[in-house]
Amino acid sequence: MQIWIAAAVMVASFAAGAGAPPQRAPIVAAAADLNPALAEIAAAFLRDERQRVELVFGSSGLLTRQLHDGAPFELFLSADESFVEQLADAGLTRDSGALYGIGRIVLFAPHGSPLKPEDGFDGLARLLDTGRMTRFAIANPEHAPYGRAAEAALRARGLWDRLQPRFVLGENAAQAAQFATTGNAVGGIIAYSLALSPALKPRGTYWLVPDTEHPPLGQRMVLLRRAGPVAERFYHYLQEPAARAILKQYGFTIPK
Amino acid sequence: MADRALTVTARQAAPIPLDVQFTCKPGEVLAIFGPSGSGKTTALRIIAGLYSPAHARVFCDGETWLDTSAGIMVAPHRRRVGFVFQDYALFPHLTAAGNVIAALGHRPRRERRARAHELLALVHLSDRHDRRPGVLSGGERQRVALARALARDPAVLLLDEPFAAVDRVVRRRLQEEIDEIRHVLDIPLVLVTHDFEDVVRLATHLLVLEHGRAVAQGPVENLTSRPDLAWLRDAIGLGSLFQATVIRVDSSRGLAELAFDGGTLVAPGHACGVGSRVRVRIPGREVILATTAPAGLSLHNVLQGTVTAVQFEEATDRAIVQLAVGGIRLLAEVTRDAVSQLGIVVGLPLHALIKSVSLEVLPTRGGHVT
Amino acid sequence: MDWRALGVSLWLGFGTVLVLVPFGLWLGHTLASRQFRGKGLLEALVAVPLVLPPTVLGFYLLVAFGARSPLGEAFEAIAGQALAFSFPGLLLASAVASLPFAVQPIQRGFEAIPVEVREAAACCGMPPWRRFARIEVPLAWPGILTAVVLTFAHTLGEFGVILMVGGNIPGETRTLSIAIYDRMQAFDDRGAGLMAAVLLAVALLALTLTTVLGRRVGPRRG
Repeated sequence: MQIWIAAAVMVASFAAGAGAPPQRAPIVAAAADLNPALAEIAAAFLRDERQRVELVFGSSGLLTRQLHDGAPFELFLSADESFVEQLADAGLTRDSGALYGIGRIVLFAPHGSPLKPEDGFDGLARLLDTGRMTRFAIANPEHAPYGRAAEAALRARGLWDRLQPRFVLGENAAQAAQFATTGNAVGGIIAYSLALSPALKPRGTYWLVPDTEHPPLGQRMVLLRRAGPVAERFYHYLQEPAARAILKQYGFTIPK
Repeated sequence: MADRALTVTARQAAPIPLDVQFTCKPGEVLAIFGPSGSGKTTALRIIAGLYSPAHARVFCDGETWLDTSAGIMVAPHRRRVGFVFQDYALFPHLTAAGNVIAALGHRPRRERRARAHELLALVHLSDRHDRRPGVLSGGERQRVALARALARDPAVLLLDEPFAAVDRVVRRRLQEEIDEIRHVLDIPLVLVTHDFEDVVRLATHLLVLEHGRAVAQGPVENLTSRPDLAWLRDAIGLGSLFQATVIRVDSSRGLAELAFDGGTLVAPGHACGVGSRVRVRIPGREVILATTAPAGLSLHNVLQGTVTAVQFEEATDRAIVQLAVGGIRLLAEVTRDAVSQLGIVVGLPLHALIKSVSLEVLPTRGGHVT
Repeated sequence: MDWRALGVSLWLGFGTVLVLVPFGLWLGHTLASRQFRGKGLLEALVAVPLVLPPTVLGFYLLVAFGARSPLGEAFEAIAGQALAFSFPGLLLASAVASLPFAVQPIQRGFEAIPVEVREAAACCGMPPWRRFARIEVPLAWPGILTAVVLTFAHTLGEFGVILMVGGNIPGETRTLSIAIYDRMQAFDDRGAGLMAAVLLAVALLALTLTTVLGRRVGPRRG
C-alpha cells in the first residue's frame, strides 16, 4: 500500500514540476562548431555579468527542427544564415537576428596519417591516386552547414565524386571532427574553430581552406520569441569586444 | 430438505459435449465416474462456476447459481462451494493455516486464525499449521486442501480425483476421513473419480459419464449390479454390491457373519464390530451355480435364489445369470455351456456358492441405506 | 562527471518504474488471464519497442508530442510548457520505450501461476481484487521484480529515443547516456569514460540484483 502512495506522490510531484515555470538559466542552442568557443564565452559571461546560461550543441539543422517542435531554447546560434531565416519565416524568432561571425573550414589530418594537409587539395588528390585513401570525414551536408561548405569546396576541386565512396558523415561539425581525428579516417574537412580548440590542436595538422573555395559560412544568431532578459543580455554580450576576442581566437572572422 | 439439494442440468454440443442432469441431496455422496475426457471434471467446474456451458442450470441450497436461459451467472467467489482440486492447488506462498485462512474471508477477522486451527485439527494436521505446502507430504497437502474447502462453510463439497496423487495406505485413511466428515457436514458431496474403489467406499449415488453423456445414474447398489453397463464392468468387473449388518464376529477364526436382505454370509473380517454396517461386493466370476444344494464342501456361503434374467455375451462366449436372492440381485458369470447343461432359464431356482475369501467387505459409517 | 545528468537519469529511471510498473501489473495481468479479440495484436504492440529502431519510436513520439499535435497542445495548455524537450515528455517517451521490459516479465510471472491456483482462490470466496493482491501478486513477485529492475536499467541505458524527443537539455533531458555522447563530441574522453563506467556499474548491479533476488524468491514457489 505504501508503494502506491509513494508512486502517487512522485507522479504528482512530476506533474507539479512540469506545471511550475522553472526559475532556471536560459538555454542557448548552438551549432556544434561553437563547442569550445561558446563555452569559454559563457564562462566569461558568468564572470563579467554574474549570469548563467545553459548550452546545448548540435547540428544547426537538428536544432532548427527541435525549435519547430517546441524546444525551449531562448537563443539560437546557427552555423549559417538559412536556418535562422527559416525560423524567422515561421514566426518563431523575435527578428532576423545578427551575424556574429564568419566560419572557416580546414583540411585536417591526425598525426601519422598518409594525408599531409599542408599540400592542400592537391595532396588529397594524390592520396586518392595512390589508393591509400581509407575514410574521409565531413559533416553531413544535409543539415550541417560545415558539411555544405566542405561539399562546395570539394566540388569546386572536382574531388567530390571521387571521394563519395570514402566519406564518413558526422551528424554535426563536432562529430565530423571527432571522426577526422581519432585515427579511423585519414582526416577530414572540419570547422576551423574546432581545429583550433585545445582538445584537437595537439592531435594533428591542418590547412586552412581559402574562403574563396566555398560560399561564406555566415554565422547568424537569433533570439526566440520566448527569450528572457538573460538570453537577451547574452545576445548582446556576444557582440561585445570580450566575446568577439574569443570568437576571433577560435578562427571566426568578425563581421563589421 | 429438498431445497438444500444440489441440482444440475447441463447441455451443449461443443466444445465439450455435455448432456447431464443430476441431483445430490445433503448427506449423499454422488460419484461422477468415467474414463478421462468424459467430462467429469467439467461437471464439477460448472457447479463451481469455473465453466459455463451453452445451456445449464445449477441450483444449490435454495439459490440459483447458474441459469443460462435467465441470464443468471453467479461468480465463483459468490458460490458457497468447497472445491478440492485434483492437484490440490494450494497457495504455495502461504502456510497451511494461511491457506485455510484465505477461505475464511466471510468470517470476522479475529476469528479466522482460531477457526483455521480448528479445521486443521479436524483433518489431523494440528502440528503442521505453520508449514508451507512445499514441505508437506502428498497426503498432508490433500488434507490442507480439504480443510480449505471446508473453511468456506460450503453448501456443497466438490472433490476432483481427491486420491489420485497419494499412495494406497494414505488413500484408505483419507477415504475414511472424508466419509467421517460428510456425516458431520450434512451437505451434498460430489466426487469425481476414475477409480472404482472410491465409488465403492464413499459413494451413495453414481453418475456414469461417457463423452459427456450420462450413460447410467442412480444409487450405487442398483447400478453396479447392472449387467448391461459393459464399460463399467470392464472397469471394475461384474459384481453385486449391497448393504449388510455384522451380526456375529468369531475372532478366533477371523470370520464375521453378515446378515443381508436375502440371508446371511460368512466373510473374513475380524475388524468389524457387531452391529456395524458394511458394504459387500460379490464379483460375478466368483459365483458358482448349482441346481441342487451341495454337500461336503468347504463352503460357508450357499445362497438360494431364482433366475430373473440370462444374458449372453456375443464376444466372450459367456453368460450372465441374474438371480433374485431375497431383496438383492446377484450376478453370476458362467459359460454358455454351463447354461445349457444346467438348463438355466428365467424362473429356475438355483443355489449360488461363494467362497468367503471372494467376498469384498467394506466398512461404511452411519446408516445411510438407499 | 556530469552529476546533473546522473540525477536526470536516476529520476527518469525511478519515474519510469513508478509509471510503468502499476500499468504493467494491470496490462500483464489482463494479458495473462484473459482471452479476447485482438490480444495477439496487443501483445505485438507491447513488444514492438524491442525491435523497432529507437529513431522510429522517437519520430512518432516527437510528432505526437509536437506543439502542433493534440497531445502537445493539451499538455502545453495545462503545464504551460512544451511536452517535447521536457522532463514529463521524456518520462512518457521512456515509458513507451521501456514498455516491453515492464509488461513482459510481469505477464510471464502471472502466466506461471497454475490456472487451478487462481481458480482455487476464487473458490475460496476471494473477490477478484483480493485474489490479485493476496495470491497473484505474491506468486508473480519474481516477474514483477524483474520488471522493476529491467525497466530501471533499460531507462538508464536508453539513448536514441531520448536524444530525439529530449533534445539534450542540461538538468532537464540530458541523461547520462546523452551526456556521454555529448562529452565525446567535446573531446572530453575522461568525462565520457567516467560516466560510461558509472552506467556499466549500475547495469551490472541491477542485473546481479535480479538474479540474486530471483533466486531467493524462487524456492518459495511450487
